[in-house]
Amino acid sequence: MSTPNPLPRPTDAELEILTVLWSLGPSTVRDVHETIARRKPTQYTTVLKTLQIMAEKGLVERDEKKRAHIYSAARPREWTQQQLAGDLLRRAFGGSASSLMLGALAAQRASPEELAELRKFLEEYEKGKP
Amino acid sequence: MTQFAAWIRTPMAQALGWALVHFVWEGVVLAAALLAMLRVFHAAPARRRYALACLALAAMPAAFAITLGVIWALRPLAVAVPIHWVAAPLADGPIAAPARRFAWAMIFDRLAWAVPVWAAGVAFFYARGLAGWVAVRRLRHRGVCVASREWQTRLEQLCARLSISRPVSLLESCFTDAPVLIGYLRPAILLPLGCLTGLSAAQVECILLHELAHVARHDYVVNLLQSLVEGLLFYHPAVWWVSRVVRAERENCCDDRVVETMGDARAYAATLAVLEQRRAPAAALAANGGNLMKRIRRLTTESRGAQTSVAPAASAAVLLVIFAAALTALPAKLPKVRHAHTPASAPLAAMAVAAAAPLPQQSAAPMSTPYRKWLLEDVVYIIADQERSAFVALTSDSEREKFIEQFWQRRDPTPGTPENEFRTEHYRRIAYANEHFAGSVAGWKTDRGRTYIVYGPPDEIDDHPSGGTASAYPYQQWRYRYIEGVGANIIVEFVNSDGSGDFRMTSDPAEKQRASTPYRKWLNEDAAYIISSEERAAFLKLASDEEREQFIESFWQRLGEPFREEHYRRIAHANEHFSTGIPGWKTDRGRIYVIYGPPDAIASSSDSKSILWTYLRIDGPSSAHVFIFEDPDGRGDFRLTNDPGAPHENVPLWDAAPELSVRIGGHGVVTVLVPLGPSPDRFHVYMEITSNRKIVQVSESDVSGQAVFTKSIPLPAGQYRLAAIVKDLASGAVRRSELNLDVVNGPRPVWGKASGREYGASFPPW
Repeated sequence: MSTPNPLPRPTDAELEILTVLWSLGPSTVRDVHETIARRKPTQYTTVLKTLQIMAEKGLVERDEKKRAHIYSAARPREWTQQQLAGDLLRRAFGGSASSLMLGALAAQRASPEELAELRKFLEEYEKGKP
Repeated sequence: MTQFAAWIRTPMAQALGWALVHFVWEGVVLAAALLAMLRVFHAAPARRRYALACLALAAMPAAFAITLGVIWALRPLAVAVPIHWVAAPLADGPIAAPARRFAWAMIFDRLAWAVPVWAAGVAFFYARGLAGWVAVRRLRHRGVCVASREWQTRLEQLCARLSISRPVSLLESCFTDAPVLIGYLRPAILLPLGCLTGLSAAQVECILLHELAHVARHDYVVNLLQSLVEGLLFYHPAVWWVSRVVRAERENCCDDRVVETMGDARAYAATLAVLEQRRAPAAALAANGGNLMKRIRRLTTESRGAQTSVAPAASAAVLLVIFAAALTALPAKLPKVRHAHTPASAPLAAMAVAAAAPLPQQSAAPMSTPYRKWLLEDVVYIIADQERSAFVALTSDSEREKFIEQFWQRRDPTPGTPENEFRTEHYRRIAYANEHFAGSVAGWKTDRGRTYIVYGPPDEIDDHPSGGTASAYPYQQWRYRYIEGVGANIIVEFVNSDGSGDFRMTSDPAEKQRASTPYRKWLNEDAAYIISSEERAAFLKLASDEEREQFIESFWQRLGEPFREEHYRRIAHANEHFSTGIPGWKTDRGRIYVIYGPPDAIASSSDSKSILWTYLRIDGPSSAHVFIFEDPDGRGDFRLTNDPGAPHENVPLWDAAPELSVRIGGHGVVTVLVPLGPSPDRFHVYMEITSNRKIVQVSESDVSGQAVFTKSIPLPAGQYRLAAIVKDLASGAVRRSELNLDVVNGPRPVWGKASGREYGASFPPW
């Protein structure tokens, strides 16, 4: 593993499966399908097929030791997130999209000074906790 | 490009430009008002401060729109205002200030370009917003995963606690690094992947509650409107500042909601801190940071919303009063500015201002009679245009008193002495004129009176009481050796052509600035409806008849010969068909006819008291404009009764006859609508269209379950009579209605841009 594999960028369908795998951890095809189907109607075979393709591409790893194959994401989500975020997230969040979303945190991240202040606050909070 | 350059000088563009300029101070006033209110209510609950900020932000586009409306309403009317030809012959006063006019003209020239720049900016911000919206939509579908059933259920419980009835979906996303709420009708909360597993259940609940508070408060819609305001008035930092206050207070509101529900402010603050720490480190660009620490301090130290402060209604009232005060100050400023950027049409502007003066919103204390008399009689010939508009803008009698004093002081040849020789001489001249020149009108109003008041006693008078070789009528010649600003050896001739004692001026010493009769007629009659205010101003500036001749020639050349021929044909047509007590071209129908040409369709009510003209495709392919003229006393004097300013789509053309109405579409397709009634009964509809008593089309049909029966028929140009007979088959009741319809589809050769000018392309709101 001296050179990082030039993994292909996942398609939208593959990305969704990766997201499920990151969220659930290693899962069977049935688990993945169940989660996806709760958002939009999807065929079990479609998920299976996609997972097989992704395994070929190296996006997911397949554990064949058990009777039901267990799939897991080949890379931690931070890795793919960085790959994808570079082009989409920065543009979307840095631009106008952020002002169209409402969130508990500001669109702009905290500055290093502010982060230090936050850390101090948290430490005090932990100490003050009964 | 030339069209563009012409557009930025249209009254609309000018009004926009001035509204943009005025908003600079309006925005500052509103932001300052908000700042003051926030200072006063620094301890008030977040939702009150939020309401104040929202009010200030909403007031901004409102102020802009009102300003635009006021400027538009008070703009100098260049077309179709009878003031032109009754405008008093006000010669410019002796102390007109050309330098200042020039400066204003320069500023305005620059300003005109501000409008396209502003429009481009608005387009940019809206396009950017649209792109952001698309990106947000993608976020909802790309790289997301439904949260586990347990969390979904928990979310539903929280929804119930906040009385939210809309279904909210909970998604994990690999694209956000902070929890966000998107969508309004189908709201979705996106949590960063790992958030659900990495935080404690109580912490996740805090976050969900915060986002749900946004849903419950309809913040998403407010935020959208807020973005629209930001884009519209992007050039003003005050807008962005107020908008930022709104955003900050909105988050505070939601924080308060969370604490109210959860109880532990410190735990919630810690959740926010942890969440922020979990984000990827800040990019170098976003170094200015958010306001999270402020929020945390607020959450942990302040007793939020504990105090009961002044009712929000009261605070809103204060803001409204400040805003209203700012608005009333606006019209007072307007006339000066407006006047200044139309230097050449200044007398008109002054007249318009003078006419507008008694309007209640114009001034706190309307000008009372003595001051009006002073303006319109005493100094009417000598007051400068700027002074006139400044005077009209004054709001109290004490200001007017002071203005009059200063007016005379400026003209005093010996400022140190108590005696003002100029003033004394001026009133002496008025008295002299009234004594010697009075005829059917007061002496100061006559031509001789005006000349005497403006230029003083002539050096020589040549009186010919019984006419002379050149003239059959009694005439007088006044000789001035020198008149400052006019020239040397000036002879003014007055003729008493009707023997009434009213001597009329035949040559004006200020001839250079004035047009003689045929040219004035050309300006105020022939071209009255089609000349632009700029062209009018240019024309009035011309010094000789040769130049005027040339101007008129090039004016028509620009428009093209067919345009000119059509224009005069329309005037002749109007005079021939619409003349009543006044010439046809001056009537409402005449005016519309001269400007827009023959209508596409004419319909008249069966009692002939209402006429309706329809024009298609004036502004665009699918628009129609409708003019309704009414003649209630049947004298043939039809008055325009509607405001056709707004284009209509598929206008229901006939309001006057509810039994039968007509829509006119393109290519002469007429759609007849016969309302049947709300009952689902069966009707038999017989429809007959006749032309010259010959039947053109007959249709008969049985209709059931329909409220309106419609039929579309292509009709060639011509005059028609429509009759519809409706029989209710259940009750046997029969109803008959009729309508006259005139379809005019004749070719309109000068319509459109071929002539280089859009003939009647825009509708001035009358």
